[in-house]
Amino acid sequence: MAYSATFKDHLAKPRHAGELVDANAIAESTNPVCGDRLRMTLRVSDKRITGVGFLAYGCPPTLVCGSALSAAIEGVTVQEALNITKRDLLDLIGGLPSRKHHAAALAIETLRTAIESSCSEILP
Amino acid sequence: MRVGSTELARTPFMSAKRTVYLDHSATTPVDPRVVAAMTPYLTEKFGNPSSVHMLGQEARAGVDRARREVAALIGAKPNEVVFLSGGTEANNLAIRGICEASEAHGKHIITSQIEHSSVRGICEALEKRGWEVTRLPAYDNGIVRFDDVQQSLRSDTVLVTIMLANNEIGTIQPIADIGRLIQEQRAGGRKHLWLHTDAVQAAGRISIDVDELGCDLLSLSAHKLYAPKGAGALYVRRGVRLVNQNVGGHQERDRRAGTEAVPTIVAFGAAAKIAREELEQHSAYLKKLRDAFEDGVKRVIDDVVFNGDASHRLPHLSNISFRYIEGEGLLIGLDLQGVAVSTGSACSSGTLEPSPVILALGRDDELARGSIRFSFGKDNTEQDVEYVLEVLPKVVGKLRELSPLNKALSV
Repeated sequence: MAYSATFKDHLAKPRHAGELVDANAIAESTNPVCGDRLRMTLRVSDKRITGVGFLAYGCPPTLVCGSALSAAIEGVTVQEALNITKRDLLDLIGGLPSRKHHAAALAIETLRTAIESSCSEILP
Repeated sequence: MRVGSTELARTPFMSAKRTVYLDHSATTPVDPRVVAAMTPYLTEKFGNPSSVHMLGQEARAGVDRARREVAALIGAKPNEVVFLSGGTEANNLAIRGICEASEAHGKHIITSQIEHSSVRGICEALEKRGWEVTRLPAYDNGIVRFDDVQQSLRSDTVLVTIMLANNEIGTIQPIADIGRLIQEQRAGGRKHLWLHTDAVQAAGRISIDVDELGCDLLSLSAHKLYAPKGAGALYVRRGVRLVNQNVGGHQERDRRAGTEAVPTIVAFGAAAKIAREELEQHSAYLKKLRDAFEDGVKRVIDDVVFNGDASHRLPHLSNISFRYIEGEGLLIGLDLQGVAVSTGSACSSGTLEPSPVILALGRDDELARGSIRFSFGKDNTEQDVEYVLEVLPKVVGKLRELSPLNKALSV
């Protein structure tokens, strides 16, 4: 399948690319199978995500999933962010070939790890 | 980069200003002279070469002329050239054909760790049928050592199959030395020891003479030579017996059953003639472009590793690993700028494993995943090189800004 216009737009203009200096929820995950890596830095205040940054090493779907997920969670509550599924993310970017679904799984896992591994006061 | 939440860096890609094809090791555009040569065989000269009537004999003459041209490209006799569908089929007929013909005398093959996937796949299939395969290393320069071949020969070895030039890094292997060794062994009484070389990447880029190489079998593909996809050839030295893999017809002197693909074979012949006549001129030109490109990359991009021996390699090819970034991201980034290349990245190959060729050089996983092959062709220009040197640092820089592996540098 061909990549969607949304996919290409995220690839050309990644949203929230970079490392957040004042983050209080951070995670970096590696896909053990293919070695793709995603790092997310979040600033959470009053149970709401007020800042997001991501860094990615991997194929374009990994970069795009990092970008699209970052854009989706800025401004939402921590609970709303935790409710986002791999399928939601795939829909957001207009789908991926099945062999690239691991990129969406890595992004969701990284977000959840960032939230869950951080201090308890940010959890819902 | 390290930025505050309100100033996250965004560097949009530019829109492509130019299209630059740098993937000639994957395939080449068809030369207009080749199109002109083959077109009559798609229209009025449509006969079957096996037919006795005039239309058939006209097609036969076209195939015979192509056979002479392909033979001349490699210093062979026309009746030593078998036409088939491409490089992969040539490798299959060569390796399976010679192994099946020789298995009463031994079931050991010597090959290298950097062969094309077709040779790798055939060797793996033979292993499942009880053959033993020795895969020689290519060391950090990407070249197999003659001594390793010599030391690996056993009394039950029937085939040495090592490529003439590698498809990913372009390194040229010491086939002439190996050929002399095999011929000495045969003269000494080992009548069932053969040498095959995959010359798909080398043909048209360096001079090839089967007698100088001393090989018994040599594979060629048309579409790497500015001819269309769908034709290839296997050189079979006179006296070498193969078990044919396609049965059910007497074409190609019983070595490859099936009606000849006359138009693509005629095109292959025309392309081989041009390749032979223009070889020196093109090789020098490609080397000049490639070297200018590599000098430029060294000048404008840090943390790069050039893969493959700098001097013993094909003139048109450059393989570079870019630290901190993954090859498919770079490939797509360059594609958005109009530049077509290929990569040894795992994601791209669909295998989840990065290029075995780059790993065989002793490079780490990150360098294998970040490797890009730039392969130049006769239609590329100095302006193409300038354009790639303009966009490449920007795409690399952008991906490195995004890379978590680059944090140490970015803080």
